[in-house]
Amino acid sequence: MSAAAETSAAPLAVRGATLKFGGVTALDDVSVTVNDGELLAIIGPNGAGKTSLLNVTAGFYRPQQGHVELSGKDVTGLRVDQIARSGLARTFQGTHLFAGQTVIENIMIGRHTLMNSNVVQAFFHFGPVMREEAEHRKAAEEIIDFLEIEAIRNKPVGTLGYGLRKRVDLGRALAQEPSILMMDEPMAGMNSEEKEDLARFILDVREARKIPVVLVEHDMSVVMDLADRVVVLDFGRVIAEGTPAEIQKNPAVIKAYLG
Amino acid sequence: MDPSGIFPTSYQADGRLIRTRWQALALVLFLALMLAAPYLVGARIIAVLNMMLISAVIAVGLQICTGYAGQINLGQAAFMGVGAYTASILASKTGLTFLLVIPLAGIAAAVFGFLFGLTAARIKGFYLALTTIAAQFIFHFAVLNLPSTWMGGSNGITVPPAELFGLRFVSETAQFYLSFAVAAIMIAGAFGIVRSRFGRAFVAVRDDDVAAGIMGINVAATKANAFLIGAFYAGVGGALWAYMIRFVGVDQFTLFHSIFFVAMIIVGGMGSIVGALIGVFVIRIIQEIIATVGPNIAESVPFVGGDIVFAGMNVILGGVIALFMILEPKGLMHRWNILKSSYRIWPFPY
Repeated sequence: MSAAAETSAAPLAVRGATLKFGGVTALDDVSVTVNDGELLAIIGPNGAGKTSLLNVTAGFYRPQQGHVELSGKDVTGLRVDQIARSGLARTFQGTHLFAGQTVIENIMIGRHTLMNSNVVQAFFHFGPVMREEAEHRKAAEEIIDFLEIEAIRNKPVGTLGYGLRKRVDLGRALAQEPSILMMDEPMAGMNSEEKEDLARFILDVREARKIPVVLVEHDMSVVMDLADRVVVLDFGRVIAEGTPAEIQKNPAVIKAYLG
Repeated sequence: MDPSGIFPTSYQADGRLIRTRWQALALVLFLALMLAAPYLVGARIIAVLNMMLISAVIAVGLQICTGYAGQINLGQAAFMGVGAYTASILASKTGLTFLLVIPLAGIAAAVFGFLFGLTAARIKGFYLALTTIAAQFIFHFAVLNLPSTWMGGSNGITVPPAELFGLRFVSETAQFYLSFAVAAIMIAGAFGIVRSRFGRAFVAVRDDDVAAGIMGINVAATKANAFLIGAFYAGVGGALWAYMIRFVGVDQFTLFHSIFFVAMIIVGGMGSIVGALIGVFVIRIIQEIIATVGPNIAESVPFVGGDIVFAGMNVILGGVIALFMILEPKGLMHRWNILKSSYRIWPFPY
């Protein structure tokens, strides 16, 4: 761990997380700290525990040991939606979009927790509620603008191609105005053109929002090009950590990948 | 619906329900027609319309719970019953004004519905359907087996008419206006709810509860809220029912009735308020036709026997619903939406 990583107010810190499924140890005393504004890549061979790590941080699994902290606040054991409200957004491997809904509706759902109207106000739907709707709709349109998906904003997400769906997924996560964004294999199943597009958007997000991005990724070229720092997992343990250049030369990493 | 090439220029305009002058005109005409109905048609039609309005409130509630939030609910008639009994007891024992009785009946039903909504946090699909059937039977047993001084037992409760400033809502016409006013408010409110953040949260939970969670939506609470709102509507509808029939009995709120409400939203189209209204209209019309035609057949062909005719009529009603499911599984609203979108893009193919 670098010295900066030890400050208590890191956007995300996983401390000594251990996750077991029966006899299988998915994560073994994993500690990862994400620093302000950095693009951290988590890599590793199949079954290394990358997605498990993501699921532990997002609250899908509760680790048997260890803690997850968001900006210094311990969120271990909180429900998924509570962690999301604490500022963590994630995209899924594949997509988990609301397929029957249009792009704009998907993005508006992302803004749910930022809106305050209660059900009685919604029932009567007068002034303040409509102003709030319009205000958040504006924010949603800004995201649509940012991701260059204006033309498809009223299309049901289910009818879109995979690359565009991934972009909507990113847009929906951004709509939450998270303080940290985690992406689970965003490049999986894309052609190289789509990969380039998405890579550009990921870099843009970091520029525009100044938030750290955690990337779980298989595609080595993407990782080496984008990441500031790389954490390598193998059999549920962190085996290496450093800049992409360091990682490429690390003998433990080469051994893990080539056997 | 604007034709091709016309786009909204503000977000408020984009969220508007009434977009064109023609839509506004159609709505005003419809409302005027409804208000004038007692002077245009006979008492029998008014009674049918009144029944439709009450069913509409209940079906819209079910649409929110099942159509929007995706929580199967076979206990809507029980929730309606809770509302009807609450209204009856309050009106007959405390003499409260209906202005308070109707919302209180809604709240009582909402509490009852919320309890069953809590189970939806853990179970889904068929199992949830079974649990909501339990609501139906708990209601039934409670009414029949609790001391009859509480809820009238099997004798039911007679309800005094609604009263406002000395005006008694006794006649068909007066009750029709009462139901119409309440239904108008409730349906307008439903449109408000479904296009607010709550409506979106319901849809999110229905379509993908994992993703809904990661959006910061409390999935369990949202499901329970869907039941709460759905049951509130049922309770208000139940109170209107109590004021209309002026007598409540436990056999007015059976599983059979619940299934009819489900049939209404399926025929009209899941996930659409207008769809629920269309479904109510279609099912109630079919029921009325059958109720009118049935006795005539029984009279004109006496050798068939009245019992068989009435049984046959229910078979036909079931058959019509089954046909809808086969031929138009997405509901009539779906067909209408296809028409609308083709108008919107005309003359272009897409």
